Amino acid sequence: MNKNKTYPSYLAFGTVAIYFVFLFLPGVLGIFYSFTDWNSFHPEVNFVGLSNYQRIIAPNQKYMDYISNTVIFTIATTLAKSALGILLALLLTHKLVLGKALHRMAIFTPLVMSYLVVGLVFKSLLHPATGFVNIALRSVRLDFLANNWLSDASLALGTVISVDTWKGVGYIMVVTIAGLKSISATYYEAAEIDGANYWQRFLHITLPLIWPVLLTITILNLTYGLRVFDIIYALTNGGPGHATDVINTAVFSAFSKGDYAMGTTLSTVLFVFVMAISYFLVKMMENKGEEL
Amino acid sequence: MKRFIALMTVLAVICAMFAACGSSGSPSDAPAGDSQAGQTPASQDESAPANRPITVTFGSHQSGLPVSGIEQELAKEFEELTGMSIDFQVTPDAQWRDLLNVKLNAGEAYDIMNVDADPLSIISRINPEQNCVDLSGEGWLSRIDPVVLPGVTVNDKVYGIQFAGTRKSMIVYNKQIFSDLGLAPPTTYDEWKQVCQAILDSGITPIYEATQNGWHQVLPLFETGSHYVTLYDDLYGRLNRNEMNVLEVKEIGIILGQMKEFAELGFFGDYFMSQSVEGAQEALATNQAAMFNIDTGWVNELETEFPHTFDNFGIFAAPWADNQTISVNTTCNAFFISKDSNYVNEIKEYFNFLASPENLKKRLEGDPSQESLCWPEVESRAKPEFQAYFNSLPHGMVMQVGTSYIDPQWMDVGKDIDAMYAGMMTPDEVFQNIANRRDEMARLQRDPAWQ
Repeated sequence: MNKNKTYPSYLAFGTVAIYFVFLFLPGVLGIFYSFTDWNSFHPEVNFVGLSNYQRIIAPNQKYMDYISNTVIFTIATTLAKSALGILLALLLTHKLVLGKALHRMAIFTPLVMSYLVVGLVFKSLLHPATGFVNIALRSVRLDFLANNWLSDASLALGTVISVDTWKGVGYIMVVTIAGLKSISATYYEAAEIDGANYWQRFLHITLPLIWPVLLTITILNLTYGLRVFDIIYALTNGGPGHATDVINTAVFSAFSKGDYAMGTTLSTVLFVFVMAISYFLVKMMENKGEEL
Repeated sequence: MKRFIALMTVLAVICAMFAACGSSGSPSDAPAGDSQAGQTPASQDESAPANRPITVTFGSHQSGLPVSGIEQELAKEFEELTGMSIDFQVTPDAQWRDLLNVKLNAGEAYDIMNVDADPLSIISRINPEQNCVDLSGEGWLSRIDPVVLPGVTVNDKVYGIQFAGTRKSMIVYNKQIFSDLGLAPPTTYDEWKQVCQAILDSGITPIYEATQNGWHQVLPLFETGSHYVTLYDDLYGRLNRNEMNVLEVKEIGIILGQMKEFAELGFFGDYFMSQSVEGAQEALATNQAAMFNIDTGWVNELETEFPHTFDNFGIFAAPWADNQTISVNTTCNAFFISKDSNYVNEIKEYFNFLASPENLKKRLEGDPSQESLCWPEVESRAKPEFQAYFNSLPHGMVMQVGTSYIDPQWMDVGKDIDAMYAGMMTPDEVFQNIANRRDEMARLQRDPAWQ
């Protein structure tokens, strides 16, 4: 008997079985179905090779636009949430800021609101004629800034990204604050004695020590961004036209039309994206951890 | 021994979890007020007693329920009589069809589903043979107008109950504005453009367009079908047999170009991409807009909501591509019962209640947007002025009822038209997409005409 083992391995059987049946098997089946013509109209399923994947890249289809929108959304929200989250975390751990708990709560609150509510509220706030945002802009003579925020194709994706950042930045802030709190004050005291300014302290103490936290929030942001659906469904339903359609709105649309094969094909593409990015980020985190 | 007990415990937990996942539960155990009650697939409880407090879910899209609230009022009366309450779960129009299909495909349908019913799309929309309860034996079938039955019938079995009468989509216009500006209802596209320009010059938005609902912007294309059939012999039959491509109906392309031109000329106003159908009443009643493309029954609703508009609104056939015909839509929303519902008998009882002569009368009186019901025993209340106009022009069937694979792509066409207005697609691309989607749907459904 291996004395190093704390628990016998058969205790993991239950978890493995559940994981296999409910997670692994459906995932593999999903990939398998992407090579078939599975649909809601006919019970039999035929192997069609790569034709579903060919449909995705066909010039008369818009799927590549949806993939592009997904990537833009993911990169933009990841950068915006991370930058703003870190900035807010630094601000709200600074000794000169008063009412830190109140500020933190206010910034965190949007996270607990449902996407549907956020969608409805922002649709109302951003209405070009009757919305609060444009009315406020016009009232201070900034008419030129009043726009069709959700119905102008050139602005809609940016608007959705902004709303999503507003909703999600509180979480990044809270996680980063936890990371900042774990840094011992002695490092900063020593650096101050050595004459380091704020920026130098941030660059050489704060950033390296919260690096694992930053990588974790980046993985969370990236995997969320690639899988985004709710906020887009609630705010624009992919519109105007297809300006804000992403992979998951296309998956939803394919399933709703009974074209299950296309739904699973798009899901497989998404799965590969998420797996590849997560793998590299986790590897990066491990390497960085070893360096530290 | 300890090891054996631990192993057995693990196996027992796994078995219990799988058993729990597979359990369908007892339908009669569903608590009252549980809005998910009907979403649990279970065997039908045919012997369920009446007069007990149960709740059934009623899924509908926003415009599928009268704004007046008469549907909810009738449901309330039924609840007082029987104890069965109806939980109305309303979804925005733009998301309803996708949501319903996803729910059906996931086996989580509502107990009652309010679905657009037309003979060519009924299978792709709700697949009644697979998802709905057969209502062929119901007593009310002998009283409903047979003209609407093809929309709710599959293989000689009736699956739905419908109440609304036939609809005619027209341009509703403000007589006062037209009179003040010395304008007459146009009969050609060029005349219409001049009329719109004159109205725009007076500071009023000529046409209230609403793209937020996803369906309204599509009306000009397919509710001008009666015009197309006067130009092409056996149009719908040839399209359905795939002997003709929809791209050959040049007028659809022409209308798309005209719609784009109207938008660019500012005839729809500045914010039409953010407007919804629900805002039309106020816009027309307060003279912010002069015209609106809608079913004529809407005028009654407007006059009820804004009494000062009484008799101030007339109608004319939309002169897209010089159309001078009236397209009639015999299909409408119909109620279907989910096969997975635990309360089939109770819902059948509810349908009988709705189909009683007094409740049909109450429905028409309580819903100003309806001119008539598809129940001949209830007298129509169409305005004589409108009726005279209808009688003066030739009639035909709307394209989505006569042609396959048009109605199922309605919302997709709406998104494409939005993209056209936003400058992301050309009218030709929108038109081409309509043809592509027909081919794609026919391929998916293995339509013999496309083999």
